[in-house]
Amino acid sequence: MSERSRPDRERTQQLFGELATLTRGTARHSEVRAELVEIHMPLVRYLARRFTGRGEPADDLLQIGTIGLLQAIDRFDIGRGLEFSTFATPNIVGEIKRHFRDRGWMVRVPRRLQEMQGELATAINDLSQRLGRSPTIRELAEHMRLPEEQVIEATDSARAYSAVPLDVPNSTTGMTIADGLVEPDDALEHVELRHTLRPVLARLGERERRALVMRFVENKTQNEIAQALGVSQVHVSRLLAKTLAELRSKLPDVQVPG
Amino acid sequence: MSQAATEHDGSQGTVELTVPADPAFVSVIRTVTASLAARRDFTIEEIDDLRIAVDEASALLLPHAGEAGSLSASFGGADNTLSISVSVPLPKGQAVPEPDQTSFAWMVLAALADSVTGSASGDRLMLTLTKARGARST
Repeated sequence: MSERSRPDRERTQQLFGELATLTRGTARHSEVRAELVEIHMPLVRYLARRFTGRGEPADDLLQIGTIGLLQAIDRFDIGRGLEFSTFATPNIVGEIKRHFRDRGWMVRVPRRLQEMQGELATAINDLSQRLGRSPTIRELAEHMRLPEEQVIEATDSARAYSAVPLDVPNSTTGMTIADGLVEPDDALEHVELRHTLRPVLARLGERERRALVMRFVENKTQNEIAQALGVSQVHVSRLLAKTLAELRSKLPDVQVPG
Repeated sequence: MSQAATEHDGSQGTVELTVPADPAFVSVIRTVTASLAARRDFTIEEIDDLRIAVDEASALLLPHAGEAGSLSASFGGADNTLSISVSVPLPKGQAVPEPDQTSFAWMVLAALADSVTGSASGDRLMLTLTKARGARST
C-alpha cells in the first residue's frame, strides 16, 4: 500500500551484525555491503529526487547519493542503537550537496546574495516584530539601506536557495521543524478535498506534510508557522517552495487533467 | 470572456510578458510578479504567496503548451490589488482541458490568491490569480 517501499529494518540489522564480523575485502563482506546498498536504494532515490531539476542529470544524482550511502554503511556503528536510515540520510544528502557545491551550483546564487541571506533573515525578523506583520519590500530596503531591486532579488534567492537543511535544530529554541509540528489528520478531517490530499501527503516527509497542512489547510500565515515551528519565516518560505516543487515533480495528479 | 476587459483602473497600468514555454523561464515571470507586487507595497509574505502561486499556475499550464509554445503573463489591477493571468496557447486540435478544481494544485492556488479562475477559451488556456494587499492581515 505504501508507495515508498521502506527499507527492511530487520534484515538491515542482521546484515550489519554480520558485517561487523567480516574482514574488509573478503567476498562475503562485499556481498553483504551490496545487499545493504540494494535495500537502501529507495532511500537514495527519494533523497536524490529532492535535488532534481537543478541542472544535474537524475542518474548522476543517484550515483552520488549512492556514494554517500556507501560511506554511511562503512561508518555505521550498530552498537550505538541508531536506526541506519536516520544515520544514512544526512550522509547521502551531504554528499549530493557537496557535489552541487563543487560543481558551482551553490554559487549560481551570487555570493553577494548568499552573504545577504543572513542579514535579510535578521531584518525580516526585526521588522516583523516591530510591525506585527511581515514587512514590505520598501520597509526592508530602508532598513537594510539597499535598493528595492536588490531586496526583491534577495528574497527570491532566499526561497530558491535550499542549502540550509530543514531539520537542523533552531539555534535558540533547539527545536527542529519536525518537533514543532502537529498531527495534521484532524485538520484534514474537515476538508472536502481530503480524498485527493491524503495519498499526496502520505508520500511526503513528515515535516513537509505538516507545514503544508498548516499553510494550505489551516490557512496559517508563514509567520504563524514560523513561530509554531521555532524557525525563521525565510525558512518556512523555503520549506513550502521546496515541498511544492517536490510534489510537482513527483505527482502526475498535480496537473490539469487533459 | 476571451479578453481581459477592464485592467487599467488605478494608476498601475498593465504589463505583458511572453517567455518560451520552458520551466527555466518561469523565474522571469516570478521576478516580474515580485517586482510589481513590491510596487504596490505588498508585504514580503504576500509576495512570496504570489511567487508560489505563479510557480504553481505555470506548472499547471506548461504541460499543455505545444512544442515551441510560449507562456504568457499579463499583470493588471489597481493600486492595492495585483491580478495575474498566466496562459499558454493550445496546440491545434487539442481538446480543451478543464481545470480540475479538486486537485491539490488548485487548492494551493486558492489558498495563496484571493481568487482563482481558469478559462479555456479560443485557443488559450488561462489561469487568473488575484490578490489584494493586506487582505488577510489580522
